[in-house]
Amino acid sequence: MSHPKIIVVGGGLAGLSATIKIAEMGGHVDLFSIVPVKRSHSVCAQGGINAAKNLKGEGDSTWQHFDDSIYGGDFLANQPPVKAMCEAAPSIIDLLDRMGVPFNRTPEGLLDFRRFGGTLYNRTAFAGATTGQQLLYALDEQVRRYEAEGKVTKYEAWEFLSAVIDDQRVCQGICAIDLRSMAVKTFPAEAVIIATGGVGAIFGKSTNSVVCTGSAQSALYQQGAYYANGEFIQVHPTCIPGEDKLRLMSESARGEGGRVWVPKQAGDKRDPKSIPEGERWYFLEEWYPKYGNLVPRDIATRAIHKVVYEYHLGLDGQPMVYLDLTHIDRATLDRKLEGILEIYEKFVGDDPRDTPMKIFPGVHYTMGGLWVDFEQRTNIEGLYAAGECEYQYHGANRLGANSLLSCIYAGFVSGPNAVNYARNVIKSGRTPAHHVHDSERKRQEEINAHLLKNDGAENPFLLWRELGETMTKNCTVIRYNKNIRETDAKLVELLERYRHVNLSDRSMWANTSFVFTRQLYNMLQLARVIAQGAAMRDESRGAHYKPDFPERDDANWLKTTKAYFAADADEPRFEFEQVDTSLIKPRPRRYDAAT
Amino acid sequence: MANSKTVIFKIKRQQTPESKPYWEEFELQYRPGMNVTSALMDIAANPVTRQGKPTTPVTYDSNCLEEICGSCAMLINGQAKMACSALVANLKQPITLEPFSKFPIVRDLAVDRSVLFENLKGVKAWVPVDGTYDLGTGPRQSSEMQEEAYPLSNCISCCCCMEACPQFNDKTGFVGAATIAQVRLFNSHPTGKALKTERLKALMGDGGIQECGYAQNCVEICPKELPLTKSIADVGGQVMWQAVKDFFRT
Amino acid sequence: MASSASSIDTSSARIKKGVAPLRAGQGYSFVLRRLHSLSGIVPIGAFLIEHFISNSEASKGVQAYNDQVKFLTSLPFVHVLEWVFIFLPLLYHGIYGLYIWYKGDSNVGEYPWSGNWLYTSQRWTGIIAFIYIAYHVIDLRFLGVHLMGGGYQNAFSKVWFDFQSPWTIAFYVIGIVAASWHFAYGVWLFAAKWGLTTGDNARRKFGYVCTALALVLIGIGLWTITGFVRTPAAQVPWVEHD
Repeated sequence: MSHPKIIVVGGGLAGLSATIKIAEMGGHVDLFSIVPVKRSHSVCAQGGINAAKNLKGEGDSTWQHFDDSIYGGDFLANQPPVKAMCEAAPSIIDLLDRMGVPFNRTPEGLLDFRRFGGTLYNRTAFAGATTGQQLLYALDEQVRRYEAEGKVTKYEAWEFLSAVIDDQRVCQGICAIDLRSMAVKTFPAEAVIIATGGVGAIFGKSTNSVVCTGSAQSALYQQGAYYANGEFIQVHPTCIPGEDKLRLMSESARGEGGRVWVPKQAGDKRDPKSIPEGERWYFLEEWYPKYGNLVPRDIATRAIHKVVYEYHLGLDGQPMVYLDLTHIDRATLDRKLEGILEIYEKFVGDDPRDTPMKIFPGVHYTMGGLWVDFEQRTNIEGLYAAGECEYQYHGANRLGANSLLSCIYAGFVSGPNAVNYARNVIKSGRTPAHHVHDSERKRQEEINAHLLKNDGAENPFLLWRELGETMTKNCTVIRYNKNIRETDAKLVELLERYRHVNLSDRSMWANTSFVFTRQLYNMLQLARVIAQGAAMRDESRGAHYKPDFPERDDANWLKTTKAYFAADADEPRFEFEQVDTSLIKPRPRRYDAAT
Repeated sequence: MANSKTVIFKIKRQQTPESKPYWEEFELQYRPGMNVTSALMDIAANPVTRQGKPTTPVTYDSNCLEEICGSCAMLINGQAKMACSALVANLKQPITLEPFSKFPIVRDLAVDRSVLFENLKGVKAWVPVDGTYDLGTGPRQSSEMQEEAYPLSNCISCCCCMEACPQFNDKTGFVGAATIAQVRLFNSHPTGKALKTERLKALMGDGGIQECGYAQNCVEICPKELPLTKSIADVGGQVMWQAVKDFFRT
Repeated sequence: MASSASSIDTSSARIKKGVAPLRAGQGYSFVLRRLHSLSGIVPIGAFLIEHFISNSEASKGVQAYNDQVKFLTSLPFVHVLEWVFIFLPLLYHGIYGLYIWYKGDSNVGEYPWSGNWLYTSQRWTGIIAFIYIAYHVIDLRFLGVHLMGGGYQNAFSKVWFDFQSPWTIAFYVIGIVAASWHFAYGVWLFAAKWGLTTGDNARRKFGYVCTALALVLIGIGLWTITGFVRTPAAQVPWVEHD
């Protein structure tokens, strides 16, 4: 029996779940991660993971979960893989439970479930308010077990630079840089799985971690991989504005009864606790009586924007509204939400058990990503993608607590598929193409050498700030074509200025600004995919909202955007693909009335 | 020119593992809500010392910036802390930043903390599941069990407990509180228990639980408030029982 | 930039080795360390209490004290008893204790918390007690007039003569305080580390018990010293014998 070697890039939930499946099937994994895998961005997920286990006597079903997900995603997702994911969800929860995830329990000792946005069912299993952390740790522990058995080799503090693609357009491995010695090396493998997460850094400040730059996806897009639905970026309605990042305030805060409101009187300076009920405006509850505070994220985000920017009712004139938990008793809050309440307490200094939290929407999740087929294959043979870095499961808007599920599920699909593919590669007797590895390494070394001796006046960190500002302003909650076109022009300008970037650090040991500057180039290229995709899509669907085109337009736009890189023109080109709606007929998506 | 609107940072820097460390001072504009990581980002955007000398951005580990990934641990005013949750307003100035002193230096404020992951391997800190295929539901557990396990599972592997521990050093090779807490976590899990004996025997090895001097700095410094001393006491008892059993039965 | 994949400048080669990972299941330090902990309680601690109580007879006068010494020195197999239950355990506890002291690094400067102060105090009271006990045993057991056999009649006097120097008295006070504290906190540590007091509450409550133990021992010790110091020279006999 052959032992296929598979490279997994990224050690979050998707990468680790793929790794576990591969190791279990007898393959060997080279696992690459910028940070130690236990520090991956998946730890930030708070609220929970969805699975229709129907343990609350509500008549929930995997079909209902599937329907909620498709409807929540505004019918843009291909339906068969989403259905398969929802059907696999209960067994995934069981597996995680067996792996020791400390899920919250009912008095009988069964898994407890809570309600999340975009559904009327208690379908979200949770471990306090740090579910992502607990899930990641469970998978990390299993991977450590395989590492101890010699089935997994970790390359932590290595960053993916590019795929090694042979003359037949087949992926034969990757090229990566050691983030300490700055050495560039290629690694052969029969198959490669990319699991590199979201692209939040393109928007400057977001809820994402520092490593979530989308650099790997962008590099692959520039190497010929399709990038799908890039324009769909989820802006989470409830974040804590911060100096260095926007910290998420989980949807579970609303799931446990948190209420969003503003004082009816603009500029009301009173202590929020002293404002009587009658003088508060619970606008989500008023506008969406059925779902109330638990409308999907895009809806809540736009509502908050409207209250702040159209009604000018932001707290103290600032772009912020209250998220209020103070009516819930402390013991319940501590038991179910302690982790996220601590975050607020630590970073703001107020106790959310006593004072309503001040929150505002922030860039949170990348629905789009590398295009993959139902087997998680990209259009480059031998190259798979799983998790937030691919586009498959969330359509135009992701439901809360579906991301942890989609990451693990996509890992579980991609891993075995990659093993089967790799076995065939071995059977076919393919020999590693050394010259392809050599030339890819040389190409990357030349980029590095050029960057190091580049002499200009542009500071990469300041370029990044400009990128973040223009993208956040024009390509997030509310989009106007004129502004998006300005943004794309700005991106062209930034790419031009990037050619004059000047590294203040030219040393060749643990040079973080060098690495960041390389990422920045990829961010700029991918930003154009997002901006141009948004400019083209003249409709409103899910997270993509254009006031000039306020309705969903299924006749023209019920299709997947596929961007590919035109190397000669140094810009994206677009194709469109029909969406597989074979299971649920698209219907209008309305949360303000019965559906 | 120091005034109430600026903050002074003194940062211990070191170019490579072999080179000599040196100090640099930076004066930054203060903004409400400023934390140490945002200050380091400001320096990266404008790497000039207080004396006006151009320098390089500071190398440090960071990722989530919300104290859940465990990356950005460093010595802030001499104590092990997470840089992201260290609000400038709560710190005495000038603020000194140094790398952890007990871990091999990579560069500037970045150190190599892989020893913790090795230790977790050494004590088999995992639940030995049969496989990832569908084997039905997990063992039933009471809310009380979940409430015992959950705080232990919150360990972010930042290594603050090890840095602050007077017993954690080259001479003892002490395993540290974080790993012992994980032994307690997995020994209490209905399935994880299967490896209990192996874990306890591992912890009896050199550098094991016996090196604890009970200074209790671990439990004071832990940013996630893990019950570390309770875990050491609890696992200490388990180890003793194991030792007694081994002595009389083998 | 490395020019070829084969001559990679691996980062692991340049980063220095840090604290070693756990040597799972290897070595004997567990047994030695637990033996150290145990030897501090029994027999050393038990003897310490006995010794404090016996010596406190000094406060009742010369005769009472000498009678107590007579009783102890006339125990059967007294040499075996003192070597097996006192000297060898003391030597082990002291020497291995020095090794433990050497391996630890006090850091109360950076982390000035009560537990850390106690840790540091245990290190230094251990050193003081070691020096004190070494002096005390050599001076009173192995040097000068021997107290075994008929020598017990000079027991009180031997100590009394020592106490003519205020420096000796000061040294005894320091030694007794250090040994008492070291023992009492050692009992607390024993309970915590052997898993007897796992709960925070249990440890706190047992802390009060051990504090009381320390204070009682210090009290008895100091009271014993005053027993010698209060006795006028005229009452102190000296019996010559061969």
